[in-house]
This record gives sequence, structure tokens and C-alpha cells, in this order.
Amino acid sequence: MGSIRRFASLAAAFGLVLAACSGGASPSPSASAAPPSEVPSASANAAQAAPVPGGLLDKIMKAGKLLVSTAPKYPPQSELQPDGTFKGFDIDVATEIAKRLGVKVEFATPDWTAITAGSWGGRWDMSVGSMTITIDRAKVLDFSPPYYGVPVQLTASVASGITTIAGLAGKTICSGQGTTYDQWLNGTLDYGTGQDLGKPPAGIKTTTLSPGSDCPVQWKAGRNDFQGWLSASTEVDAAIKAGLPVVKVGDPVYSEPLGIAVDKSGPADADFVAALKKIVDDMHADGTLKAFSMTWFGADFTTVK
Amino acid sequence: MEMTPGMTGPGPDTALQAARLEQPGAIVREVAAARARAGLRFRLVCLFTWLVVVGGFVLAIGTTGRVDPEFLARYTPLFLGGVPLTIFVAVVSIVFAVVFAIVGAIGRISTWAPVYALATLYVSIVRGTPFIVQIFFVYSALPQFGIVLPAIVAGIFALSFNYGAYMTEIFRAGIQAIPRGQIEAANALALSNGQTMRRVILPQAVRIVIPAVGNDFISMIKDSALVSFVGIQELFWRTQTIGSAKFRSFETLLFAAAVYWFLTIIFSLVQERLEKQMAESDRRI
Repeated sequence: MGSIRRFASLAAAFGLVLAACSGGASPSPSASAAPPSEVPSASANAAQAAPVPGGLLDKIMKAGKLLVSTAPKYPPQSELQPDGTFKGFDIDVATEIAKRLGVKVEFATPDWTAITAGSWGGRWDMSVGSMTITIDRAKVLDFSPPYYGVPVQLTASVASGITTIAGLAGKTICSGQGTTYDQWLNGTLDYGTGQDLGKPPAGIKTTTLSPGSDCPVQWKAGRNDFQGWLSASTEVDAAIKAGLPVVKVGDPVYSEPLGIAVDKSGPADADFVAALKKIVDDMHADGTLKAFSMTWFGADFTTVK
Repeated sequence: MEMTPGMTGPGPDTALQAARLEQPGAIVREVAAARARAGLRFRLVCLFTWLVVVGGFVLAIGTTGRVDPEFLARYTPLFLGGVPLTIFVAVVSIVFAVVFAIVGAIGRISTWAPVYALATLYVSIVRGTPFIVQIFFVYSALPQFGIVLPAIVAGIFALSFNYGAYMTEIFRAGIQAIPRGQIEAANALALSNGQTMRRVILPQAVRIVIPAVGNDFISMIKDSALVSFVGIQELFWRTQTIGSAKFRSFETLLFAAAVYWFLTIIFSLVQERLEKQMAESDRRI
């Protein structure tokens, strides 16, 4: 059900010319939840156009607030402050999106695995959580174009004495539960773009913790039953800065395009995703994202492909 | 916990022997005083042992240099801000658990097969599946059937539904502990079955099961940490989130453990008083 709508909004999300095809498919009765005529051309100025009644954009505008899920275990992207509020790159991006939609922003804090699994049941409207756009996630979530990207870095514990990627062959590598890092280590990561993401070191075993930042914490605590840790370079840098016994191993192994996600099983979201695409494009063009990136990462990650 | 001096009284005491020889009536008082002294000494040694062990533990942790007091001081208000939510979740859940348990218990003693079967199925399924699975089911799986509970409602429902099943057996035992004569007497007074249950059996059964419910409440305070998995920002969620973000799980986990321990000590004291009062009214009967 709604597969055409899904296809259409996925196409819109990636900014592909395929949007025209879904426009051609518009007479299909199965797309009744979202009038298909709204899908292809709405990207021009969807925020100002009348939202689809009962759709996600309609719901957000009527409520006057955008409820964003965030995982505040990942500074500098998102972090819980002593006063209970949040700060970070993703928080700034979410706040800016709400501002451009003309609504308030609020944050919910579900478990990361609940966010990536889809079927949010309307508990929150969208995820600004540095989520890697993959072919599996695109089955249940609609994505904005990448709003930035980060290089992914292999690391080893100081205690292991490993300094090269080849040195990790046959060792155990830790990463976050339900993350794309775990998928890459197991050879199942697929962006759906045909991009070659390289191969993990030969003969490795994998283990997961939730969140992945707990991996290097185990080394500090004296647990050494895994030797490697794979994560975003931003998180690796934060760990090293925090004094954890982590060494970077080799150059980044691949990079990940990170998108803003919306639940496919929720209210019709084509017009919202189109508005989102425009806002993300605008934020790229007017330098807003670059400014946020410089503030939080000290580097421009908005051009990472 | 109440410490008893045990069987070891004071050893041979020359003052006691002298008293026995001169004034036989003073022996009782002497023995009582000696027992009181021994009891006090026992308690003091217990307290001292606790202080030495806990103090030694705290000192040992402090000297590892892994605890940053400034970090803890900065986040303590945030962590403790989760305590009211922890207690709220536990209190509301225990109330609903009692409701589930009463309904379940009545079903379990029902002579009507479908009702008995349903109640037994409830107890069997809930006790036969992990609690963490139940929480995720209520939160993540029910929306697929169109039932979307907000996180806090999902957490409280899962907790009370789970505890209700365990407490069903407690309530069933409590109901069955009421002597048959009570039911017969109620019948003789022409009370209906419903009236008998509501006015005669349940009030007495509740009194019997209250200590057990109190126990469950204390373990619920600890199990409420599991609702952090659906993003409820209670004590454990806060310590866990900050611990992961700041790479300082060691301190934050210790902090959470200490607060939960403190909470259970407080509620155990309340529970002890409650039990004593229950015993009191038993004696009056």
C-alpha cells in the first residue's frame, strides 16, 4: 500500500529526476493518502503552499511545533546539558529548520534503535540525528538530501599496540548497536547508490555496545576483549579529547552521507519532505550549515560525500 | 534490617553472681540490662562494619583518580531531577499493578472456565517472557496495530501489566487464606457473591498481601530503570545519557546505584513499619 507514494517521496528526497515518473503515475487510486499532484512540483516552495490536509506538514503547522527526536549521547552532535536542555550541531540544525518553517521546536529522546526502525506512531515528527542514509532505512524512512557527512575512522586501543589497518585483521572490533558501523564491519552496509565502501580488515569478529561511545570507555576501565572501535571521526576526536586510550588507525575507511529522516508509516509526508529538501538546499547555499559545522566540529563537513 | 543479639549472652559475670547471692529479685533486671547492653553493642558493631566497608569502598574509588567530583557536582541536580519521575513511575505502576492483580486473582479462583483460562493465560504469558521484551513490544510493536501509547504511558503500562501478573498469585493466595467460615457467614447474611468479595474477602485479603505488595514496590523502584529504554528521562536515563556522552559511565553508574540503594533503604524502612502495624492489628483480632 502506498508504494507509489513512498517511491515518489524517496525520489523527492534524493532530488532525483524520477519525480517526473511518479507524477505520471498520479492517477493511481492507491495514492489517495497523499494527492500525487502535490508530490513532484511541490519542492518549488512547499512551505508556503497549502499543506495536504491530514498530512505531516499540516499536522506540524497546526500544532505550531516540530517534535524532533534526538539521541543526546553523541556530542558534539547532541548533548544533554545540566539544565536538561540540549545543545549540539543536530540541535542547531533542527532549531533552524523549525525556524524556517515558522514553528517552535521540541525534542524527544527515544532509543536510537527505535528511531532507525521506523513506525514511530506519530510520537515525534522527524529525526535530526546524523543518520546515515542506507537502502535498508529508506524502506521505512524518507530522507532529506544529506545535510552533511562525516568520515568514518577505524581505531585501536592503546593497549593493543595496533597502529595499522592490517594490524586489526583477525581481531575483534566494537561499534554501536544498530549502527551503520556494525553493518560495514559485517559487510552489509549498502547506500543503494552503488558506491564502493571498501572492505573491513580480513577475518575480524565484531561486537556491539549501546551506544558505541561505550567501546573506548571499556578500554579505559581495563576491559580489553576487543581491540578495535569503528565510529565517526567526530566521535573519535571527542573520545581522544576526553583522554580515552584510543589511537586512530590509518586514514578514514569511508564516509557517510547523513540525512534528516521522516517516518514512512506516519501521516502523508510528501509535501513535508519536499519542504525539508528545500530548507536543506537553502541552508547549504546560504552557508548556514557550514557555519554550524565550523562551530561544532571546527571543520567544514557539509561537503563530505 | 533489625539486628538481634542472638543467643550469645554475656559470659560469667562476677557482679551478676554477687547479685544472685545477695538479692534474688535483682537478677531479672540485671539480665535485662545485660541483654540490652549486648544488643546495643551488636548494633554498634554492625553500624561500624557498614561504615568501614562502605567508607573503604568510597575511599578506594576516590583514590583511583577516576572520579571527577567537579563533573559529578555539575550534573547532580540533573540526575536527582530524575528521582521524582522514578518514584512517580513506580507509584503509579504499583497502583495499576494492584488493579491487574485483583482482577487476575479473581479470574484465577473463578470456577467459570473461560475466565479462569484467560487469567491463567495472562499470568503464564507475562511471567514467561522477559520484561524488556514486553516494554519494547508495548512501545514499538503496538503502534503497528494502531495503538500508539506515549512513552510514559507505555512504560507505566508495561511495568504494571508485568508486576500485576506476579502479584496475581500473591492476591490469589491472600484471597484463599480467608477462612471459609467468612464466606459462609456472608452467605448466611444473604450477601451476594459480589458483595462477599468486595466487602468481606478483599478487605481482609488486601491486609494480608500488603507486606508482599510493599516488597514488590521496592523492587519496582529498581525495575523502573528499564523504562529508560523508551526514552523516559528518569534517573537511570539521565545518568546513562551523560555517562555515555562524557565517556564517564563509571561515575554515573556508581551515582545511579547509590541513589537507587538510598531509595530502597528509605522505602524498606517504611515497609518495615507497615509490616509491624499489620502484625499489631493481627494481634488485636
